[in-house]
Amino acid sequence: PPVVVPGTGNNILVNPCQRLNPILDCIKNVGKEFGEIVPDFQVGRTTGVLFLRQYHRLHPEYIHQRIEKLGHMYNLRILLLMCDVSEHQEPIRELTKTCLINNITIIVAWTADEAGAYLATFKQFEHKPPDLIKERTEKDYLSLLRASLTTISKVNKTDVETLRTAVGSFADISRHSTESLQNLPGFGQVKVKRMKDAFEKPFRNNST
Amino acid sequence: MLSLLPFHKSILERIHDPSTSELLLIARGLGLRRIICTLMKIYESPQTLVLLVNAFPEEESAIGEELGIMGCRKPGLRIVGYEMGKKERQDLYKRGGLISVTSRILVVDMLQSDIPIPLITGILVMHAEKVTPLSLEAFIVRLYREKNQSGFLKAFSDEPEHIMSGLSPLRNIMKELQLRTVHIYPRFHEEVKASLERRRADVIELYPQLTDFMLDIHGAIVQCMTTTLAELKRSNTTLDLDDFTVSNAYFRSFDLIVRRQLDPVWHKVGPKTKQLVSDLATLRKLLSYLLTYDALAFHAYLETIIAANTTAPSGSAKQYQSPWLLTDAANIIFQVAKRRCYVMTSTSSSKSKAPPPVDDDEEGWAALNESEGLVGTGKGNGKEKETERAEWLPEGMTPILEELPKWDTLAEVLTEIEEEMMRLESMGRSSLTFTPGTNTVLIMTSSSRTSNLVSEYLSTMDPDSPPGRKAHSMMSAKLQLYLWWKSKLSERKADGKTVFAMPQGNNMLGGNGFPGLNEEESEEISEALKKKDKDKKERAGSRRRVRGGSVVAAASANARKEKECQRDSGDVRGLVGEEAMRDEADDIAQFLSTQTGSTSANLANSGAGPSLITFEDGDFTLEADDFDAHFGLLAPQQTVVVRAYSDDTDDMMLAEIRPKFIVMFEPSQDFVRRIEVYRSSNPGLGVRVYFMVYRDSCEEHKYLVGLRREKDAFERLIRERGSMLLPILEDRSRNDPTEAAIKTISTRLAGGRKEINKEPSRVIVDMREFRSTLPSLLHASKLLVIPATLTVGDYILTPDICVERKSIPDLVQSFNSGRLYTQCELMSVHYKQPILLIEFEEHKSFSLEVQSYLFSIYRLVILIHFTPQTVGEMKSYAKPTNKYPPKKKPGGPSENDTPTAPSIQSKLVLLTLTFPRVRIIWSSSPYATADIFNDLKLNASEPDPSKAIAIGAEEDPDAGAGVNSAAEELLRSLPGITAKNVKYVMSKVRSVREFCELDCKQVQEILGVEPGKACWDFMHRGDRKR
Repeated sequence: PPVVVPGTGNNILVNPCQRLNPILDCIKNVGKEFGEIVPDFQVGRTTGVLFLRQYHRLHPEYIHQRIEKLGHMYNLRILLLMCDVSEHQEPIRELTKTCLINNITIIVAWTADEAGAYLATFKQFEHKPPDLIKERTEKDYLSLLRASLTTISKVNKTDVETLRTAVGSFADISRHSTESLQNLPGFGQVKVKRMKDAFEKPFRNNST
Repeated sequence: MLSLLPFHKSILERIHDPSTSELLLIARGLGLRRIICTLMKIYESPQTLVLLVNAFPEEESAIGEELGIMGCRKPGLRIVGYEMGKKERQDLYKRGGLISVTSRILVVDMLQSDIPIPLITGILVMHAEKVTPLSLEAFIVRLYREKNQSGFLKAFSDEPEHIMSGLSPLRNIMKELQLRTVHIYPRFHEEVKASLERRRADVIELYPQLTDFMLDIHGAIVQCMTTTLAELKRSNTTLDLDDFTVSNAYFRSFDLIVRRQLDPVWHKVGPKTKQLVSDLATLRKLLSYLLTYDALAFHAYLETIIAANTTAPSGSAKQYQSPWLLTDAANIIFQVAKRRCYVMTSTSSSKSKAPPPVDDDEEGWAALNESEGLVGTGKGNGKEKETERAEWLPEGMTPILEELPKWDTLAEVLTEIEEEMMRLESMGRSSLTFTPGTNTVLIMTSSSRTSNLVSEYLSTMDPDSPPGRKAHSMMSAKLQLYLWWKSKLSERKADGKTVFAMPQGNNMLGGNGFPGLNEEESEEISEALKKKDKDKKERAGSRRRVRGGSVVAAASANARKEKECQRDSGDVRGLVGEEAMRDEADDIAQFLSTQTGSTSANLANSGAGPSLITFEDGDFTLEADDFDAHFGLLAPQQTVVVRAYSDDTDDMMLAEIRPKFIVMFEPSQDFVRRIEVYRSSNPGLGVRVYFMVYRDSCEEHKYLVGLRREKDAFERLIRERGSMLLPILEDRSRNDPTEAAIKTISTRLAGGRKEINKEPSRVIVDMREFRSTLPSLLHASKLLVIPATLTVGDYILTPDICVERKSIPDLVQSFNSGRLYTQCELMSVHYKQPILLIEFEEHKSFSLEVQSYLFSIYRLVILIHFTPQTVGEMKSYAKPTNKYPPKKKPGGPSENDTPTAPSIQSKLVLLTLTFPRVRIIWSSSPYATADIFNDLKLNASEPDPSKAIAIGAEEDPDAGAGVNSAAEELLRSLPGITAKNVKYVMSKVRSVREFCELDCKQVQEILGVEPGKACWDFMHRGDRKR
């Protein structure tokens, strides 16, 4: 059951045990208040965050206890891991497995600033629709053209511009011969070949 | 067929034994290809299966061709590409012989046991210098050695400079290839020396001086490089920057050095440093363009640099100016480069008294006066053209049109060669009959661009003009083109857009050489040689007319397939003419009022006129690339072949043309060696080589340093071989299965509850993922890798766990395109445990770029401290931090850059909020990923490949069939096409091109009315030819 905690919905709730955590100062643009919650931070009605730093190496059992206490609370459970040591590979591997079993998503931050920014963003985006990361349909012609031609590897924005001015429309480009493409500035053999592969080779090649 | 020199034979003797495996390192130009071809010929038989791996496509075809000439025709070398179906490949492997396979296909075939690994006779690995622990070739060798201990493996490399990184580079390569023997053959090897130095070459070295203008620019560019380097050093004090010297900066490999040094901290270096690094590359390019581009092309290139630097792609003012652009030296570069082309005077009436501030040659003056009509008694042809030219010249512009000094030298050399040929002929017909070789003159240049230029020069050259004005007609044609382009440029500028490059580029800016471009030509040449005598007689009479006309004809009909430089240039000019005519309406242009008429007239004139004049002399014609069409008509002493340096194909070319006169227009150590080999394999053939280098230029320096670097590389390798600890090869095949079994029932894991798992752990990997290094490492960590074409996810670890792998650039890109959203959606629908794997690269910083965050924080700080103060004061504060140029001022929260460009972190946050079930794996390197995967697979049940393929592909009839991912991606990006209907579209049309050919109705039938319309409109917006 999600905990019901008093307080306005616009603030990040902070567990009092994080009182001395330096990242509190790095949480900008969002209000903070302390409250009796199970995780370290509550950044949304259904989002709880556990915070972990190099302490883990001294007390590996600590995080397991915290996860256990968390039970099945919250819909989105985050482990914010601050990676400020050079031997990160082993702990991250262990934690990945643990978190997978316990339905926790790991977010890695490298500095206190970054960690603070993550927390703030979680709160700010609580009710944001995912349009920002969705495929956008409304776009102007140029950016569409750029986006589509740059899916071909080696083709960059400059090349798109060159193609547009020298060759014309998308359909014109698809018809253009290898030789004349190679004469365009910045178009080497490899790039032209990639383009031809994308435009003219059949979608299905039955190679498997 | 190429003959073998004694040292070739001794190398072959050492390495031909099919029971041994070894690595051969040889200096470039000594004929690695003929060694490989001879080896393959020895191995060829239906009973053997020999694979050629890691060859470039153009190499594959050239090797196949050479083998054909050597007599391996049935069936010779077969090439396996992506188009070949699985069944066909299996048959091909079974029938044996010589087969060249792309690494990615071979890996998949080996994993799926489509190729009988124990039956492979041997593998030949090209470009061994590229092998790293993460490369596919290393994976292939591992798979090969697992099941086949008796076959051979021969690796070859002719680029010792690349084997330089790390503590023991040679050993690493040998370890990955599981080899224990290496043969090193530098140029200074005893046997090579003995073979090549019996006769000294007849080399004439020519050192043309740079003109004063060029010297000025050269000096200024070097100065800019020094400044940029100094700036780079100053802003990165912590780095070891001993290698950062100007002489190193001449080489492309310098970028690699810089990147390697900066990679671990790349996320921390400011945009300024990144700008500096790319500036160095630009400057290096400028240096070489200065020496190879004609004055106008160089100037045009500079202008695009300025244009690209003043405005960002979005049209706003650019944030980080390249510092070198602001120096005095840069000003010199731009001013002088312009002065090489033309001088603008203030008023049109003062045209006649317009004295260019600096002038270098008297001839220039003469021609100038001529052009202005002051001197009316010029040569008939010249005068005609000059008066005509005045019509299209904008008012107030006085053309200077400086030519490259090498052009004159070349003309002189050709005259000398011609005299020499006559002398030899007059010395006695008898001697001529048994002298081997032809009188064809071979001119070698560094890139096909340069060879285009040289052949254009030769074809339009006016031999009667004084030095420095010989290419006048060509240069004025170029000037005309330039003016047209310039008007377009300014037009675009008015739109607020940036023009990056000159579109009709081949005459102005060009590709950097296409190494394989000429490969078919060698064939053409040999054919042409054969047919030469046959029809020489009958058509000799009509030759000249044909010649002159060809240019004009080409200008109108441009559908020829051969890559002939001459033809191409004509082609482009034709196009431009057309364009100029059509676009004239919007191109009202300040200057060109009479352009339409004069352009076409001029084109015809510059094309046909001078070339006719040239041929009247009858000693040399332009361009041998025309062979197929016209060469048969010409005697060898009348031909000049202009070609770009390429790879070992040049050997073949030399052997076929058998030239006695070779002009090296630009230095190349490889080609010097090729000539040595060519001479030695043709005893009795007197070759004369003209070797041209600009004195005191970066070209000379580059050549010398290149020589030294190769020598050093070889010395280091020989030293390393002497002290190398030979790797003991790990024998994977005898890896006994009990060990794995013990691991599975270990009591520490789930109390030993689990049954002994008989089958090995397996991972299903999407076919497209074989481009990355992870499958190889998964295999190395003892997982069974099963390739399959997956619709959802990249890796299936267990029936529940599906992983989508993203490298950092991928992550950024797929966030922007929205692709990641779709992928996560699909994974969430079909799998219980969808996972996003964020994989960082080894040795690179393990961190997301924190630039954006730091930046916003920095802005905040400034806001807090400086809001009450004036902008000017803030500038003075911001400057010393040197981190962000003063241009980017905090203009208050209303400034729109923060909300429009959300950082990758915030997108990640949004993703987790949207898909709470998606887990994220953060992996610092592919190695770490392999560990994590192994961890996740412990005690889990194995995934089923057929199920994994079927998931998400319900509506797709050919699920699991090979997919051309490049084409799919491209199709996906079109408007109106979504993740949902893309499969349907792909079943309706065969390729993107076919899709483009459909008319609006048909597209609407496939996609529906609205999206179909949008899609069709997108594809056909701005159609040119319809």
